[in-house]
Amino acid sequence: MTNRLAWIATLVTGLFMVAQYFIKTNATNAIYSTLLDYYQIIFAVSMIVGGIGLLKQHSLKVQRSSQRRGYSIVTIAAILFMVIAAGIFGTGATSPYQWAFNNLQAPMQATTFSLLAFFVASAAYRGFRVKSTPAFVLALAAVIVLVGKSGFGEMISQQLPAMAGWVLNNPSTAAKRGILIGVGIGSVATALRVILGIERSYR
Amino acid sequence: MMSRLLETFSARHLVYLVVLLAVTVPLLLNTRLTHTASDETKRFYANIDSLPSGSVVLMSFDFEASAFAEIKPLAEAVLHHCFRQNLRVIGLSLFAEGTALGEQTLSRIAGETGKAYGTDYVYLGFRPQYTSAILAIGESLPKEFPTDYFGVATATMPVLSGVTNYDQIATVISITDGGMPTYWVDYAVTRYHARLQTVLTATMATSFYPYVSSGQIQGLIAGLKGAAEYELLLNESGGGGRGLLAQSVSQVAILAIIVVGNVVGYLGRRRKWQ
Amino acid sequence: MQRVCCRVFFALPHVFVDLARSAKHVSLAFGFVGDTVNSFFLAAGVFDPASLVLLIWVLLTCGAVACFSYRRRVSRLRLRAIPGIAAIEEAVGRATEQGKPIVFTTGWGGDIQRPTTLAALNLLRFVAGKAASYGCRILFPTHDPVIAEAAKEIIRTAYNEAGHPDQFREDDVTFVSPSQFGYASGVDGIVSRQKPGAIFLFGTFEGEALILAETGNINGALQIAGTDSTIQLSFFIVACDYTLIGEELYTASAYLTDDRRVQSSMYAQDLIRAVLVALLLLLPILAMFGVNLFKEIL
Repeated sequence: MTNRLAWIATLVTGLFMVAQYFIKTNATNAIYSTLLDYYQIIFAVSMIVGGIGLLKQHSLKVQRSSQRRGYSIVTIAAILFMVIAAGIFGTGATSPYQWAFNNLQAPMQATTFSLLAFFVASAAYRGFRVKSTPAFVLALAAVIVLVGKSGFGEMISQQLPAMAGWVLNNPSTAAKRGILIGVGIGSVATALRVILGIERSYR
Repeated sequence: MMSRLLETFSARHLVYLVVLLAVTVPLLLNTRLTHTASDETKRFYANIDSLPSGSVVLMSFDFEASAFAEIKPLAEAVLHHCFRQNLRVIGLSLFAEGTALGEQTLSRIAGETGKAYGTDYVYLGFRPQYTSAILAIGESLPKEFPTDYFGVATATMPVLSGVTNYDQIATVISITDGGMPTYWVDYAVTRYHARLQTVLTATMATSFYPYVSSGQIQGLIAGLKGAAEYELLLNESGGGGRGLLAQSVSQVAILAIIVVGNVVGYLGRRRKWQ
Repeated sequence: MQRVCCRVFFALPHVFVDLARSAKHVSLAFGFVGDTVNSFFLAAGVFDPASLVLLIWVLLTCGAVACFSYRRRVSRLRLRAIPGIAAIEEAVGRATEQGKPIVFTTGWGGDIQRPTTLAALNLLRFVAGKAASYGCRILFPTHDPVIAEAAKEIIRTAYNEAGHPDQFREDDVTFVSPSQFGYASGVDGIVSRQKPGAIFLFGTFEGEALILAETGNINGALQIAGTDSTIQLSFFIVACDYTLIGEELYTASAYLTDDRRVQSSMYAQDLIRAVLVALLLLLPILAMFGVNLFKEIL
């Protein structure tokens, strides 16, 4: 019975959201606006649920004296610090919350992002091995785009940036478009299967 | 000694070392490269330049702290241009992390250009669930943002007078480090016919060229090179030009790594045949 | 044979001209119908006539998928072999033999309503079923608490159906962080510590894709990835053992399930794709003859 109700709710909401895109009356617009508000409320509440779940998970690790409970203690302390600091001192430019964000979180995130530079280089070292004609064409395209889009491209030749642009705007875009069309069709089919209850994560 | 080094460090470690040197050494040199603006940067510039004074620009700071180093020069250059054109700038964020960073950037550039809060620009803050936020703006911006980031009522702000939805917004600029422009295209452009331009990190730029050539995204600038080119068009100096040499040297270093990888691979295969 | 080819070759221009003439009539007919519909809906104030073409495409696409999904008689399907999908069971088996866990993650770029995430969760059902039946541990780190709850239910159900409810550990499904690189760091930490035998990267990924894939590669795991993001696909192809490209991720559940309705809906997808390809070939040719139907049809 619960599953049937869930399926009916999915079907009705899904079909309504499709229909209201095309049928614009005061009633459909009002329902649509309300659903958008609900959507945001559910998301906000889910973040609270997620935060509480995270606290609970790390608290259990600390209680069980697991091997890495030190990290869990740091995690709990960080969450509580940010919540309490924001609650007491606000989130203004000179608040402790903002200080922690600018001086702790932002540099840590930037550091992790910077790993990409190293990983791109090691992936390129492995990935651009010329063992066949298509691999050669791929490597050639990579060379043209790498040099053409860098600051040195114009210094080497005025044609290089244009060639790099041509590679990006023509064969690369064409391939991406093909994938995007397939992804679009697949998205529609998957969404429709979910709305119709053919594929569902609940049983 | 060489063989001991090679035993201790794998090829991967050597690659990492090369990249580290390629990025840090040029940054210490403090040299700027000469370059010209590309067509896509010129198109973005022209789109902003052609807007009449008083037009409304909705600027969405949809990025995280991780990409701020790359996004900041771009965002600053575009904001300088918007304020120079006396456009009304409405800032907001659909990412929680971008909220404070967006507000800091907007306020700083507005302060530098002598713009007044509430009259020339406003920061509306963060809304969760970006899909519904984008759709809700298309229905009614005042309803979605009854107060700004600081809790002040938006109904009486001169900067927002006459702005109801995307019809009154001359252009939406999504400043992002991820796939947000896809959602702006899917919901704002397709449903509400908003005019969208996007400011991106270099890695994400190629994903959106199909949208640029189909006209769904009207302008795109990306990365430090895009920032350097935009600064050139504005005749200003900023973070884009400073980082361009490091980025260019590292790109050439990766090219060298690819060549070395192929040489090593070829030599290895030849040794195997012999 | 030569004569036939010559005849066909010389007849082609006439065929195109005839097609162009017919298309012109169709275009005029479209215009007439369009004007009539426009006037009706403008008067009613209910429907935006500018959306008519989109509505027709939505009805055609959804109608095709629904019809094929509910067809009573379904002919035997021949599905093209996709190495990445065939490797999924192999990957689970390999991890089980090595006594290592599996890591399954859906990426930072999408939340629960995104079709890619839904497709990934459908795949999770299959992978979790296999892992449960083999007695292999499955770790699911994610950036979204709603996805975490959905995954918990899927994995718990899988273990229950396999008859090993005691083997399910709620802690193995973790909400790591909503922040992109907090999530990437968390997943990297799990991969580096747990040293999984197989890693499944299905969903919408953004900048964290290469970080996750390279870390898995460094740790020697068998990696199978699938995403709708064109830029991250390139990284996955380089760093992973198998990659599902674009639509293959959405059709994976059809390959792995016995549900004929899901398999039949693939027919509809292929049919729609065939129609689009035909239009993409035909419309530019007609445009060369001065008949521009792009706006009317697309």
